[in-house]
Amino acid sequence: MLEIARFEGRHRVRGAAAATAAFSGFALFYIFIYPAIAESMGADLDRLLEAYPEALSKAFGIQSLATMEGYLASELYTFGWMLIVGIYFAYAAASLIAADVERERMDMLLSLPVSRARVVLEQFASLAVPLVALSTVVPVMVLVGTTLVDFPIPVTDVVALHLLSIPYLTTCAGIGLVASVVFDRASLAQRAAAGVVAGLFFAESLLLGTDFGAAGAISPSRYVDPNAVLRESEYAVADGAVLVVATLALAALAVVLFRRKDLE
Amino acid sequence: MAALEVEGLTKDYGEVLANDDVSFSVEAGEVFGYLGPNGAGKTTTIRTVMGFQSPTSGGATVLGHDVTEEDDLIAAKRRIGYLPSHPSFDEEVTGREILDLHASIKGDERRGELLESFDPPLDRKVRNYSTGNVQKLGLVLAFMHDPDLVMLDEPTGGLDPLMQRAFNEFIDAERERGLTVFLSSHILSEVRRVCDRVGILRGGRLVTTERIEDLLHRTGKFVRVRVAGEVSGDAFDVDGVHDVSCSTTTASQAGSDGSEDASDSAFPNDATDTPSVEGPVTECTFTFTGNVNDLIGRFDRHTILDLDVQEAPLEDVFMRFYGGDSDA
Repeated sequence: MLEIARFEGRHRVRGAAAATAAFSGFALFYIFIYPAIAESMGADLDRLLEAYPEALSKAFGIQSLATMEGYLASELYTFGWMLIVGIYFAYAAASLIAADVERERMDMLLSLPVSRARVVLEQFASLAVPLVALSTVVPVMVLVGTTLVDFPIPVTDVVALHLLSIPYLTTCAGIGLVASVVFDRASLAQRAAAGVVAGLFFAESLLLGTDFGAAGAISPSRYVDPNAVLRESEYAVADGAVLVVATLALAALAVVLFRRKDLE
Repeated sequence: MAALEVEGLTKDYGEVLANDDVSFSVEAGEVFGYLGPNGAGKTTTIRTVMGFQSPTSGGATVLGHDVTEEDDLIAAKRRIGYLPSHPSFDEEVTGREILDLHASIKGDERRGELLESFDPPLDRKVRNYSTGNVQKLGLVLAFMHDPDLVMLDEPTGGLDPLMQRAFNEFIDAERERGLTVFLSSHILSEVRRVCDRVGILRGGRLVTTERIEDLLHRTGKFVRVRVAGEVSGDAFDVDGVHDVSCSTTTASQAGSDGSEDASDSAFPNDATDTPSVEGPVTECTFTFTGNVNDLIGRFDRHTILDLDVQEAPLEDVFMRFYGGDSDA
């Protein structure tokens, strides 16, 4: 078992390393510029925030920039992690099946004595490589960086946020996986998956507090709140469980669709 | 038990009926050629048998396993080798890594031996492979787990003539070992050389399946005969003679050079050592499917100047089935 996942995973190591390095650099940059911002603006930061267009601050979960926790929750985690990394996983998952079908490589894989379910799930499992790389290296970078600039934040909050965001990222990947079995062309699947994840992200944040707020419940981003975790140390484990179930449901849907699919 | 049994297989893509009620069976140990021009539906049959797509109606069993039942088909695939018409692999990995992946799932008892016959550069990335090397890698993958049945879609497509000969010898050796081979092709000479039996597909319908010798026998010999004197086509009224065409020329023309004779155009190596005769010469051509002795007996009545008997070209066999629009 897992021969396909290992094979695919090995070839994701370089991409995962690059993504991890890029995001770590991004995180450290954000962290290192914070002292300068805090010093020059001080308490005025939140007054500045009030001047932000409401849509913008809602979209990026900006609640307070007066503390390192609030700053990271909005700038780094809501925007960088949930939106950008979420799209990255949707995009990566979208090519898992579609690219092999498009380039006629799927025939070779399915000529092996393996079930279609196994092909889908092992391909999906190969995304564990970037997931684990990002989810272990980035929190270390954040903790080291914030300590270096002398704005330390609690280790447990950072670890909790990363743990809670794992099912969020797998849900984004699940959306990509479904797109990957629906479309026969990787580029279409990627666009569709990235579009859905971004669309749900913005819909949820913009609808929050409006009459259509309930509609945001279908967005994965509803179920992770970096502000609550970092600023209030509130860990919404039940929300995490919702995302675990969503991931399993999306993977199951992808399996069902792929089992029925005619590969032409 | 048949190694492959296709029963009423129909695949309707909506705009095209790729397979229309196709039925045939391939016995264990047989080398079966699945022939037809491009677009006839050969690949559709193979891909349905491999479970990549489901039939609109009908079905197939491979090695006794129903191809429309996934669990059943997986059991069969352990003993099946498959080579697609355009084998395609992840370009960023080496041939060795691909062999290792397949080996880890289905085994590779024969890998070393196969790599002696087909030797792609295993440590290079597939990106840098020539078409022939991709094909060689595909062939090793198809045979390395010592399957009982191999399904090969246009197997010699990417091979140069030398490799093609190596492939033919390889298939002959595999037949000796008892392997069942199902291969598709639109190249007749290739099929003729390696197959025991052929099925001919046209426009999604199976036109015929028969032993290749029977097919050739039924198609007959192509006979050209030059006799002294003026002879009509009735002179060769023997069972099995078809499509007689005769033309008579004067002695002078026949003795020197037949180039003015329209019927001569098919025989360029003509007239150089033909005995010179007085009077007219008749040349007849016909297809002969009967007993050669009957024909020889009939020749007694004439002075034969030249006789040429050859096997009908396979292309002619095909043309009969395709009514002239074959691309083979």
